Amino acid sequence: MKNKSEKTYSEEHLRYLRARRYHAIVVWTLRIGLLALLLGMWELITALGWVDPFLTSSPSRIFATLKSLYNDGSLFYHIGTTLWETLAGFAIAVFLGYSVALLLWWSETLRAVLEPYIVVLNALPKIALGPLIIIWFGTGSKAILFMTVLVGIIVAIMHMLSAFIATDKNKLLLMRSMGANKWTILAKLVIPSSLPSFISMLKVNVGMAWIGSIMGEYIVSRAGLGYLIVYGGQVFKLDLVMTATAILCILAAGMYFLVVLLEKLLVKNTDD
Amino acid sequence: MKKQILRFSDVTLAYHTVREETLAAQHLTFSVDEGEFVAVIGPSGCGKTTLLSLAAGLLTPSSGRITRNGSCGYMLQKDELFPWRTIEKNILLPLEIKHSNTAENREKARALAVKYGLGDFLSAYPSQLSGGMRQRAALIRTLASEPDILLLDEPFSALDYQTRLNVTADVSDIIRREGKTALLITHDISEAVSLADRVLVLTKRPARVAYEHDLDFGDVKNPLKRRESAQFSKWFELLWKELNG
Ligand SMILES: Nc1ncnc2c1ncn2[C@@H]1O[C@H](COP(=O)(O)OP(=O)(O)OP(=O)(O)O)[C@@H](O)[C@H]1O
Ligand SMILES: [Mg+2]
Repeated sequence: MKNKSEKTYSEEHLRYLRARRYHAIVVWTLRIGLLALLLGMWELITALGWVDPFLTSSPSRIFATLKSLYNDGSLFYHIGTTLWETLAGFAIAVFLGYSVALLLWWSETLRAVLEPYIVVLNALPKIALGPLIIIWFGTGSKAILFMTVLVGIIVAIMHMLSAFIATDKNKLLLMRSMGANKWTILAKLVIPSSLPSFISMLKVNVGMAWIGSIMGEYIVSRAGLGYLIVYGGQVFKLDLVMTATAILCILAAGMYFLVVLLEKLLVKNTDD
Repeated sequence: MKKQILRFSDVTLAYHTVREETLAAQHLTFSVDEGEFVAVIGPSGCGKTTLLSLAAGLLTPSSGRITRNGSCGYMLQKDELFPWRTIEKNILLPLEIKHSNTAENREKARALAVKYGLGDFLSAYPSQLSGGMRQRAALIRTLASEPDILLLDEPFSALDYQTRLNVTADVSDIIRREGKTALLITHDISEAVSLADRVLVLTKRPARVAYEHDLDFGDVKNPLKRRESAQFSKWFELLWKELNG
């Protein structure tokens, strides 16, 4: 592995590598082709009048909507609003969730005491708290941020706590036999060994953050992509709904991709 | 008289769970002298691991006394190397934990690794090593903190037979050359006979010492040579009878 450039591969291995590369190219071509096909079909059936673009919108109309949003300066305002709410909510939920999970790992008593509360909070549909949130935080970004954190934090706590608790018993025994105290065990064993779980928690929480922010915007907001979708639905501007949804897809995918990148950077050596 | 490193006097230990109380050891008495290699065999589930945990001070006896003169190093069935650390970082782990991570101690630990064939793998990760080499790295990690007694809990049982014979010979050679005291737990009679100076046979749970034998191999310490010698099958048969009788 070390001297990749110096290594000479056998003819068979080179053939194998070529086949893999070819396969990757085929997959990507088909992926992009499928997208183009779907968009093309969509455009075609609306252009031919087979379906009413008033109900289904169409790629060209989405593009036009995008352009007009850009021209009146509101495109980046709405994107920025939602993105800020999502990212801030994500960061807070992850940070607080991780910290609470550490505390619960540390104290078995605290864990036992809080367990039923966490179970209930997890089962509760957060949207039921909508009216309370409006009364407590008003109808601005603060309310949406709160909703985003609320949706993400429980998942973060439960995910990390189960990872901390699943720390290999024998490795714990080994650490204790070396005379390690709880801090050392935490820093040198529990946290590093739970890194893969941390990444998978981030992946889950990307989804949670978008659910939280869009749900928040559904109930209270005056700006953002969720707001555009609700507003578009109310005034029957399906173009607006589709445009906002498409942007949402791209942003969510981008954020997920960033986490995958982080995973590649951080998680290199695991036993399996 | 030789210095005693470890002594169990009339030790009893019970595990408590909500469902029941399990007596794992009762009236356990034995000792290990400096420089001695003692093997402990016993039926499965009789309390062998419990005995080591007691010796390491990870459990407190319900009654009786354990005295240990000096530090201990624990080695388990699986190597338990941390996959996110390089071999070098793994070997230095006990030094980090004991706050004795001085340049001198680090150099000593590295020298041990080089001496026992891991020099080229210091910057490799555990997943890049074979099972036998990983177990050797685990032994070097155990030796790095210069323990006065090695506590070995079936350290070879996860290896396949061929590797196991070689690694056993390796490890025994290292332990003898470093002049270490060792307490080895095993369920493999031939392993006990080929390695130890003295063998303790435990009873079924709760563990107690049923028999104790000084092995008469004289200066033959090499486990492979011992396996070929005439006394080997004699001891094997005797211990087998005691274990299953
Ligand atoms: N933490 C624990 N809590 C309760 N019971 C335990 C605990 N650890 C071990 N025991 C019980 O104590 C007895 C002895 O266990 P121990 O692990 O010491 O046996 P062993 O001889 O090492 O077994 P094996 O041959 O499987 O390695 C077993 O019956 C086991 O179920
Ligand atoms: Mg055991």
